[in-house]
Amino acid sequence: MANPFRLPMAPRAIRNLFSKPATRRYPYDIRPRFEGARGTIKFDVETCNYCTLCAKRCPAAAITVSRENRTWAIEHLTCIGCNVCVEVCNKNSLSMSTDSKSVHTHAEVGPQGQRPGHEEWHSPAPEPAAGTASKAATPAA
Amino acid sequence: MKRTIVPFGPQHPVLPEPIVLDLLLEDEKVVDAIPTIGYIHRGLEAMVDRVEYTEMGFVVERICGICSFMHGLGYCLALESIMNVEVPDRARWLRIIWAEISRIQSHLLWLGLGADAFGFENLFMHCWRMREEILDIFEKTTGGRIIHSVNRIGGVKRDIADSELVAILARLDELGSAFDATVKVFGSDASIRHRLGGVGILSAADARAVDAVGPMARASGVRMDTRLTGQNLYDQLDFEPVLETAGDCLARVIVRMREVRQSIELVHQMVDKMPKGEGMPLENKPRGNPSGETFTRLEQPRGEVVYYVKANGTKYLERFRARTPTFANIPAMIKLVKGCDLADVPNIILTIDPCISCTER
Amino acid sequence: MDKAAFLARVGEYHKNGWRLAIINATTVPSPDEVTPGVFEISWGFAHELEFETIRETVTTADEVPSVSEFFGAAFLYENEMRELFGINVTGIGLDLGGQLYKTSVKIPFSHAAVKARLEATAAANAAAAGKKA
Repeated sequence: MANPFRLPMAPRAIRNLFSKPATRRYPYDIRPRFEGARGTIKFDVETCNYCTLCAKRCPAAAITVSRENRTWAIEHLTCIGCNVCVEVCNKNSLSMSTDSKSVHTHAEVGPQGQRPGHEEWHSPAPEPAAGTASKAATPAA
Repeated sequence: MKRTIVPFGPQHPVLPEPIVLDLLLEDEKVVDAIPTIGYIHRGLEAMVDRVEYTEMGFVVERICGICSFMHGLGYCLALESIMNVEVPDRARWLRIIWAEISRIQSHLLWLGLGADAFGFENLFMHCWRMREEILDIFEKTTGGRIIHSVNRIGGVKRDIADSELVAILARLDELGSAFDATVKVFGSDASIRHRLGGVGILSAADARAVDAVGPMARASGVRMDTRLTGQNLYDQLDFEPVLETAGDCLARVIVRMREVRQSIELVHQMVDKMPKGEGMPLENKPRGNPSGETFTRLEQPRGEVVYYVKANGTKYLERFRARTPTFANIPAMIKLVKGCDLADVPNIILTIDPCISCTER
Repeated sequence: MDKAAFLARVGEYHKNGWRLAIINATTVPSPDEVTPGVFEISWGFAHELEFETIRETVTTADEVPSVSEFFGAAFLYENEMRELFGINVTGIGLDLGGQLYKTSVKIPFSHAAVKARLEATAAANAAAAGKKA
């Protein structure tokens, strides 16, 4: 029969009782993510040339690009954060930021059927003079 | 003698993943057990018809959250073998460094779950607190805590700077000393000895008869480890599998604890032996489509995993199969459960380190 | 498939202390409309540092004998083969009667199912290419 008084975890347990918690008080105290952590994809509409390579290589089919209409859209909640689109973009329009994806508490669908986490960018065709890009993002509530 | 049938699972506080064992009890003793799995079958192997072989690596990584790195690694190794791609040296060393760190993380997770199975929640939290160190290392070096996505066919996507490797070694050593205190608890605590000592004894002959793999077999004294084949640069390391002879649940706990220590030591050896420098090539991209078939074996934390890949020259693989170690250990689990007390059933099921998501893909 | 010869080979492996590592089935679609599709089954055995396989090619009509008499742990693999591939495995040690995975699509790796999935992928690819062009 084992000796019931051998309690090697006891000092640790007593120490835990009188020290502050090991866990953070999330969401009031958020640990900043390490540099290079995979978070959300950021898109720069100024540099994109709509070659559609990112959409073709995305394993989750989260990106839709239309060359004629010059739109680029991503479903953030479908994105698996694999970084392949960032690697293949030859215009460096895509980058991986460490922001965590936002939580959508209401699964509302947008007017054109966009799901929560949908981000869409559109730039008009470039004119001979400098063309400007306008953001037509329609994130769901 | 009263006989009753008690379904153990699919939801049970000790189970990390759902599995059902219909236990036929005579008073308190288990007479028979019938397994049913299939609660987490996602049909991932059928995705080869829809997902190209370049993207299948991401699917394979997500078979399981604990064994994620080794699955991705095994897939890439299998395809590199079919396509005859030579992986750059530094990438090969980085892969096994991450693999051993992944083994530490998996064993710490299991030690916590094992403690939770007999109600020792304090120890469970303590093991998982140590595991956070490893997850931080992964997040810093690969970008993700659980799903790493660094393996590609032909190499790896990220490098770890030599200074960073030295810092990682320092943190692993700190973890090692914190871990030593936990080893003492598992080895000498009264309740643990009582709950685990002498429970679920698997003799060496039985381990061979039921084809057990991994720590299940090694705790019974069977010297079986896929890393002994010397693949993946393990022939350059000084490595001897951890063996115990008692064959009971406590021996399996001790094997896994010693393997954590051994992995820390192996990472030291690897950092020592790997080629140093900046800007070395990390990836050798393959060309064309794969054609051929191969079996690849790796040593996951739970045992030997066998990958079978068959490609037919198109973008889509014909077959991908991962025979995970838990799949091979389920017959051992069923054998051990027969004849034990009902109160020992959670300990015995946990002792094979069940990763049912891996088993069912 | 020559059952007696196959079982003799398996028995040989068992006698020499080899361990059953994997039993895997692959659905090989037929190259044309005429020949029936086949299944390639591999039995993998491991011992010390070696790994060897037995390969047999069968059709849905063939009977595949179970190796449970030599390797008791084979029941899981053989139940899976029967349930997911529809291969007729006879004499399994612990027969779970098609209740192992309980998939919603029965026999998901049958030739018909695999063909349907490949055609769906080809159609999806063609649609995507057509939309882009």
